[in-house]
Amino acid sequence: MTISIPSVSKVFQSNTAVSAPSTTPYEAQKSFASVLKDSIEKVNEAQNQSDVMTGKLAKGENVDLHQVMIASQKASITMSATIEVRNKVIEAYQEVMRMQV
Amino acid sequence: MKLFSNTINTLENALNYSSTKQKVIAQNISNADTPGYKVKNVSFKSELTEAMSTVTGKQTNSKHMAIQSSGRTGVTITTDRTTSYNHTGNNVDIDKEMSDLATNQIYYNAMIERISGKFNSLQTVIKGGR
Amino acid sequence: MSIFHSINTSASALTAQRLRMDVISSNMANVDTAGYRRKSVVLQPKEGNFSSFMSQAMSKQSTGAGNGVKVSKIVEDTETPFKLVYDPEHPDSDENGYVELPNVDPLREMVDLISATRSYEANVTVMNASKGMLMKALEIGK
Repeated sequence: MTISIPSVSKVFQSNTAVSAPSTTPYEAQKSFASVLKDSIEKVNEAQNQSDVMTGKLAKGENVDLHQVMIASQKASITMSATIEVRNKVIEAYQEVMRMQV
Repeated sequence: MKLFSNTINTLENALNYSSTKQKVIAQNISNADTPGYKVKNVSFKSELTEAMSTVTGKQTNSKHMAIQSSGRTGVTITTDRTTSYNHTGNNVDIDKEMSDLATNQIYYNAMIERISGKFNSLQTVIKGGR
Repeated sequence: MSIFHSINTSASALTAQRLRMDVISSNMANVDTAGYRRKSVVLQPKEGNFSSFMSQAMSKQSTGAGNGVKVSKIVEDTETPFKLVYDPEHPDSDENGYVELPNVDPLREMVDLISATRSYEANVTVMNASKGMLMKALEIGK
């Protein structure tokens, strides 16, 4: 039984074709940095929003209790999501550093 | 990356509606004996009012007040002036208000329960099941 | 208003209904006092002050739900006439021996009292419901 070589090579070709538009390490780093920056800004925004709502609640201004609670939950969830991503990134970095070259 | 799904937005709007409804019910019941008082109602037209609430006036000067359609998104308060249930001109139906109160309370609790569940599952997922 | 808007609304109604009951009991107490006029309360929706209207107009959070109810005034009933009773011995009797007993109708007062009690109870129910909802809202994320 023989495997027709052209089909195999075609698979190979299509494989390489998929991974062809690869990003350079510099670009990947840049986009990762921007994603990180964006999400940190989001965390900050959520925390600020939560602070504003809490302040309004304390001052007895026109605000609903559930809105305050939701804002605080959103802030805490975005924060823990970011922290978790950061932990994973550091873990990966340390893994890479431990790699035998 | 979108952390909070549309469901959470919907639940938030529902909570806003429910809490406004509670205020309106309290107002209606407290004025059940007031002569000439007309009953207030809350309507929850999510699509249209949400589209309309994004309309804002153009500010040609930074000192101008912002013009935007009033009311929070999706919730508008209307007054029913067409009916009158007794000789004082009052049209509060206390039984309807009390049943609305019970309904609204359960609805609000259910919405809180759901949004709480949503947040908790998000927390669990983020922490990786720990 | 603050998060306690609906509780404050119900509280204003409790105050108003209690005042109404006070007036009714004053009427009942003076049912035989010569020269006493029946009193009644006038209820009126409570309006916010200027600053509350302003903040409502400025913020998108406007509710316009109202601020409850208040007793605007206590009026004396000058419409219904006094009950004239012939009692020449009475120190307040006029030259023909008639005493002006108050225009209080106990039956009417009792009906008013029941109405006030029911309204009071309804508002207590609303207040408890609002309280329950606030307590529930505190549980978000618990």
